[in-house]
Amino acid sequence: MSEKIEKMIRSTRDLPSTHLLGTGTPMCAGCGGLEALNGIYDILGEKTVFVNAAGCMTLLSVYPFTPFRGSWLYTAMASAPAGAQGIRDALDILLEQKRITTDDDLEVVVLTGDGAAYGMGLSATSGAMERNLDFIYVCYDNEGYGNTGQQYSGATPHAAKTATSRGFAGFRGYKKDLFSIWAAHNPAYVATVIGAEPLDLAKKIEKLRGMKGPRMIIALSPCPTGWDFDPRETVHIGQLALKSGIWPLKEYIDGKVTHTKVPRKRVPVEDYLSLQGRFRHLFEPTRNEKLLDEIQARVDSYWEKIEQDEAEK
Amino acid sequence: MYRIRFHGRGGQGMKTASRILGTAFFLEGYEVQDAPRYGAERRGAPIFAYVRADSKPINERGIILNPDLVIVADDSLVPVPAAGVMAGITAHTLLLINSNEEESEWRHRLNLECPVLILSLKEEVSERAELPYIGATCTGASARLTGVISNRALEQAIREELSELGTTVIEKNLENALAAYESMADNEGAITEGGLASADSYALPGWIDLPFEDARTSAPAIYAPATSVEVKTGLWRTQRPIIDYDLCKKCWWICGSYCPDGAIEVEESLPIIDYDHCKGCLVCVAQCPSHAIEAIPEAQAQALEAETQEGEQK
Amino acid sequence: MKRTLLTGNAAAAWGARLANVDYIPSFPITPQTEIIESLSEWIDNGEMPGRLVTLESEHSMITAAGSAAATGIRTFSATSSQGLLYGMEMLYTVSGWRAPFVLVNVSRGLSSPITLEPDHNDIFAARDCGFLQIHCASCQEILDSILIAYRLGEDARVRLPVIVNMDGFYLSFTREPVVIPDEESAREFVGNFDPENIHFSASAPESQAVAVLGGGPYSYFRYETHLAAMNGLAAYEEIAEEFGQRFGRSHSAVESYCADDADYLFVMLGSFATKAKEAVDRLRVCGWSIGLVRPRLVRPFPASQLQHLLADRKGIAVIDQNISMGMGGVLHSELATALYGQSGKQPILASFIGALGGRDIAIEEFFEIAEVIKQAASSGVTPPPRLLYTREELREIRKLQAVARAERDELNNNSGHKKGEAQ
Repeated sequence: MSEKIEKMIRSTRDLPSTHLLGTGTPMCAGCGGLEALNGIYDILGEKTVFVNAAGCMTLLSVYPFTPFRGSWLYTAMASAPAGAQGIRDALDILLEQKRITTDDDLEVVVLTGDGAAYGMGLSATSGAMERNLDFIYVCYDNEGYGNTGQQYSGATPHAAKTATSRGFAGFRGYKKDLFSIWAAHNPAYVATVIGAEPLDLAKKIEKLRGMKGPRMIIALSPCPTGWDFDPRETVHIGQLALKSGIWPLKEYIDGKVTHTKVPRKRVPVEDYLSLQGRFRHLFEPTRNEKLLDEIQARVDSYWEKIEQDEAEK
Repeated sequence: MYRIRFHGRGGQGMKTASRILGTAFFLEGYEVQDAPRYGAERRGAPIFAYVRADSKPINERGIILNPDLVIVADDSLVPVPAAGVMAGITAHTLLLINSNEEESEWRHRLNLECPVLILSLKEEVSERAELPYIGATCTGASARLTGVISNRALEQAIREELSELGTTVIEKNLENALAAYESMADNEGAITEGGLASADSYALPGWIDLPFEDARTSAPAIYAPATSVEVKTGLWRTQRPIIDYDLCKKCWWICGSYCPDGAIEVEESLPIIDYDHCKGCLVCVAQCPSHAIEAIPEAQAQALEAETQEGEQK
Repeated sequence: MKRTLLTGNAAAAWGARLANVDYIPSFPITPQTEIIESLSEWIDNGEMPGRLVTLESEHSMITAAGSAAATGIRTFSATSSQGLLYGMEMLYTVSGWRAPFVLVNVSRGLSSPITLEPDHNDIFAARDCGFLQIHCASCQEILDSILIAYRLGEDARVRLPVIVNMDGFYLSFTREPVVIPDEESAREFVGNFDPENIHFSASAPESQAVAVLGGGPYSYFRYETHLAAMNGLAAYEEIAEEFGQRFGRSHSAVESYCADDADYLFVMLGSFATKAKEAVDRLRVCGWSIGLVRPRLVRPFPASQLQHLLADRKGIAVIDQNISMGMGGVLHSELATALYGQSGKQPILASFIGALGGRDIAIEEFFEIAEVIKQAASSGVTPPPRLLYTREELREIRKLQAVARAERDELNNNSGHKKGEAQ
């Protein structure tokens, strides 16, 4: 636990005033993933070992520089949860054998991008959940293989232009519902977060810190480089992802999904889309009404269902 | 053989610059190699790209260690050792710097014997959105310096290499590049070809027998916390956020929390920006509710700093 | 101490048990599965401490083994063939973590076509990954080698993971007498693992296996791993010597059998080498000056011992149970590398490829191999590589091909059938 956090976080005034993670990382200026990681690390603190999979954040630690005040192990793209398994089991064995004390115990945290989380690493993640591994999984989701130049991944939203979907309609697939896939394993906790909503993020991390078992986090990570927007807009775009309803903030505990922030008056999705170069083809040279309507309709139908469910309660 | 190296920042189009120049040489009938060199760094971080051109097939490969022409798209990189701008520069190298400062100033500051030419684009690129034009502009100037690339070949190369970016971008780049081409008319053909290492007398490579060191030393592991603070990512910055403390409402958390790099520390409710590490994303500028943070071009900020320091000294 | 009948898989399980392992990440694959089944049963019955976890793939299994070892506990794992290859990315990765553990590989031919029977292409695919390799010829050796492997990998001069290799079926499922050392002396020999700075601990932050930029640092870390592997040569000899003194069984880095005075030598790896021993005995009865040399340690490669053992011979037959497509036998290439440029008369070094996918080697074939190298030595001409394959085997495959093509042949009015036979 971070020593900087001593009391429960109830309001933004309880948020730490200074981030714990070291400065000087090679992440892009305005990285929404790093912003989320800062908020997460503030709460989890230095008694952690981050088990990393191939992705942008591989480069957080480049010899001899690391921003972590605790520990880190780089594994490979597919198997970070298995790396977490080995460390968690080893720490438990060392504790059982009294070779270490609980003071030396660590929270094991997997850190992967969406490429690993939605694709190559999904089987290892599923395995870790089915074994009820006591760990935290953080996916920074920038909706594409960002570290290689933003090709589409299983997390890429419909119609987004990526380095491998440059056509007039962009990516023809649909963003995979990883939240539900994870929740179907019935782990201790699943939540979506975003750096642009630091209080919600902090509260969720604080909540999961008190739990055991698989605790899964997806952080939507606005990406100036991959999404093509001015880095200063990172937080603004994150806020629009919430206000438009594109990125629902929710959590799953004990079979139940709760939305932690419901955008009562949603702004049109195009407010969110039009700020990003990856969706420019929906607006220029001519508006692609069909695609815009489709994206809006999918968001509307998601929230209609949520509102219905709420009304029925 | 021509050996030409472009230095700039991620996002300034150095790869594109090297490709345009490579294509232009190729169109003039040369054998060509061009390549970017990527590191772990991102937009704003120092990167370089290089071009070789010769009348016969090129056997050399890899980084150019003995450049005939070095183009610096961003003069703030010159004093940064990690950027490697000065690597291999000798008296015969021509140094082309995009800068608002005089040639004599650079020659004096760097204690250079080599010729220095200035390309002044700072004004034009104060807006980040225009950064990509720097690359094409630098290429325009360097094409003229070779003395063997016609403006027709330059234009065609730009059209080919930027074809995906659409007419507006191409025209803007063409305009800048051809203007830079014209601006170097007096220095047409100024590049001279460097000498090659001789097999008769050469600097010994200094090989050693690598000694065994046990895993406690020789594993790629870091045994200290937060060493990344040694990396001065503030060097990536092209725009500097400056806090007006008269306007700051001492909200305690907004700029510090949102800063993706953790480069704003709040002490006694007063935010302090760590310029050694601020990459200049300007999220703080966009988010500050009382608009207490303003962005100014980094070069301007540095000039102001220098003035202040001089003032203090006086 | 107890002498009993054990399969190779059971011997491997006993090796892990006697080495007092803490942790066993596992994944089933034929012909290895019995190892993890035995260990799992012992742990479930309380006969041995430790924890066994079945991962969802060998890739994950090797990752978990490496990360547990990097946390400072004694770790064991086992796999075979496709599993070893599925984990290949992680074999390279975890060896760079410089945290020791032992992995048993039960050799099995690789797909395609798929087979369950043994050859050494799987283990040779892992030749360059940074794991040391010990190749076993008997069930006893498997148990002993696992104990030695922990000492070797954990040695401060080495600090690398080790693979102990056995042949599927020929050892894995074959029972033979094995001496099981008593727990106390085995544990005394293996000792406790002092992980020193190998840990993940709140009081000592560590960032492990980080990226490097540039070829200079990369070369340093990679070459240091190579130097550590090379240190394994001296470390192995010391450890094997101590093992011999304590348990009375000698497992030198290279086994030589009737080789001291021999003009001719067979060179082989693994369990098939005992067949070569049998052939040596019978050839010697007929007056042949012949012996066997069997590298037990393959990584690090005991080049100087082999140079010494193979010097001044007339002819050497290298029998590879693997094939590097487009090149030939891997052990043959490695020996040629070791021998090239040595002073003195160069022996004939002939290549034979045999026992692919468990194909047996008949004793007569060893006799014939001896004859081939003898003739080569007298003519001075090295024979071309020889696949051990008989006319009868070709006839058998023709029959299978005829069946495989039956439907097409019917469509072709049986014309293809004749064509098939003519080939």
